[in-house]
Amino acid sequence: MYFVTFILKNLTRRPTRTALTVLGLSVSVGSMIALLGISENFRESMRDTFEKRGVDLVGVASGAADQLSSEVDESVVDAVRGMPEVAGVDAALVDLSEMTLREPRDESDTPPSLQVLIQAWLPENFGYSDLDVLSGRSLTPADAGQYLCMVGHKFAENNDKKVGDTIAILRHKFTIVGVFKSFNLYENGCIITNLKEYQDLSGRKRKVTGFSLRVHKTSPDPDADVEAVRQKILALRDPDGKPYRVAVERPEKYLNNSAHLRIATAMAWVVSLVALLIGVISMMNTMAMAVLERTQEIGILRAVGWPRGRVVRMVLGEAILLGVAAAVVGAVGAVVTTHLLALSPKVNGFIEGGVAPAVVAQGFAITVAIGLLGGAYPAFRAARLLPTEAIRHD
Amino acid sequence: MTDAAASYLLYAAGVRKTYPDGAVNALNGVTLGVREAEYVAITGPSGCGKSTLLNLLGVLDRPDGGEVFFKGEPLSTRRDLDRFRARQIGFVFQSFFLLPTLTARENVQVPMFEGPPLSARERAKKADALLDLVGMGKRAGHRPLQLSVGERQRVALARALANDPALLLADEPTGNLDSENAVRVLDLLTTLQKERRLALLVVTHSDDVAKRADRVVRMKDGQVVDDGTSRAPVPRQAASPQVSHV
Repeated sequence: MYFVTFILKNLTRRPTRTALTVLGLSVSVGSMIALLGISENFRESMRDTFEKRGVDLVGVASGAADQLSSEVDESVVDAVRGMPEVAGVDAALVDLSEMTLREPRDESDTPPSLQVLIQAWLPENFGYSDLDVLSGRSLTPADAGQYLCMVGHKFAENNDKKVGDTIAILRHKFTIVGVFKSFNLYENGCIITNLKEYQDLSGRKRKVTGFSLRVHKTSPDPDADVEAVRQKILALRDPDGKPYRVAVERPEKYLNNSAHLRIATAMAWVVSLVALLIGVISMMNTMAMAVLERTQEIGILRAVGWPRGRVVRMVLGEAILLGVAAAVVGAVGAVVTTHLLALSPKVNGFIEGGVAPAVVAQGFAITVAIGLLGGAYPAFRAARLLPTEAIRHD
Repeated sequence: MTDAAASYLLYAAGVRKTYPDGAVNALNGVTLGVREAEYVAITGPSGCGKSTLLNLLGVLDRPDGGEVFFKGEPLSTRRDLDRFRARQIGFVFQSFFLLPTLTARENVQVPMFEGPPLSARERAKKADALLDLVGMGKRAGHRPLQLSVGERQRVALARALANDPALLLADEPTGNLDSENAVRVLDLLTTLQKERRLALLVVTHSDDVAKRADRVVRMKDGQVVDDGTSRAPVPRQAASPQVSHV
């Protein structure tokens, strides 16, 4: 018999309690893995987008908490585009706007509406070239003034829209000319339209929420090239000679500073910590009960020569095995849950199914820590039992 | 080391034990020696301190005063008492105390985790050999609840021998058995004691158990009142005059 066999037999002697503990803990761990996984998927999708599009710098209004609340004058974009070191500029006005899916039947009719992410792009944005057009076509500079749009495939699926259909954004009718697929999670659930038209509709003339750019890297030190452009942009002055309120960062730093991502991650951790605390208490209760019920047995083990350390290892081993079982169940549950959520129209394609292996590994490590933490006090109690008193325990 | 302690395998010199409430002096200066291959029975009325003495001799508890020696070495100075207990002492209890989730074979292996290093296969093989020795070889795969009380005590006896101890301590080993099983277990216990030259210390109320002993020690009110007659082998060194057998 191996020591681990002995530990396993202790767990299987109370199958219902073991199963319920694993189930309870797996809900805690699964919630944590799912929430952190979703938050990490957001971050990864953004990082992936910047990387695949070859973005070297991202510009937003300085002091803006996120891109939605950012406002940068388009003259900055024009100035950046004019720099010889800049290979390309993407500028966008990103907005969360109300959209109605059909025309009102009469004056008293209020069509169903939903909040949708709008990406109003300049016609020359390099981002267009990365979109995989599944049906219809891409927007072109020639479409200016015609109120046309493209929709992400998730948006199209969730709202049953296709090329030729119309939608109302800010009470103005837009015609869908293309359905696309992007490697960016957000873009698959959003609407892309022409910047100029959306600026006019939203009353934000010559304003964008941010821009990203590619830099010509000619020197042996590409980072130095990018940094030089960054400094040059920061040194730009408006016609009055005042510096523009713009912050320009490398994509990784931009993501790390992104208030949205930080809030999403913080929220995920707060909810996870509550779930994990419940997990620790549940584990502690289970192990404390197990030790109490087996007081006499622990006395026997001590009597036949088991040192306190082996008793501690036995109790902690049981707790860790419970934790590992819960981690497996929780991880599978989290992956399934995120896939199911991704299919739901309610999240509008903003959640990607699946969980990054690193998050699953993090979940496993935390669950083992829960096992150790939840099992520590009962193990300590078990080890302190005097063999003579424990044997007499009834 | 005292001369007296050196003469015995196990020697308790003036051990005292008071329980925490301070009201009961469970042991009041007991001196007792057990030689190698000697069978000693401790008798006396309930509450006289027999089991407390057995716990102190088995290093399950520490005396408040006095000293316990093993092969002349004081045990109070040892830091590895658990290992010592695992390798030198085997316990047999009145209520058997087998672990219910484990088979007989697995129960016998429990002390081996702290015995001389053996592989899992070697532990299982040794457990089978010990179960054969106590006539339980064919029941090795059964759990305690599938065994009769007599069979359980025989498995407990095999467990006590798991690490080939020099000393066997038994607390009312036949106390929960019917007369037929009691005789069988007692026969087995005395046979093994002789064959393996074990020192055997038995706490008992049973005359049958006491009658077979080399020496019967009677206790009353936490003290030894009679050390009985010894038929034990001659010690390697003469016992000191003040100790005699008690």
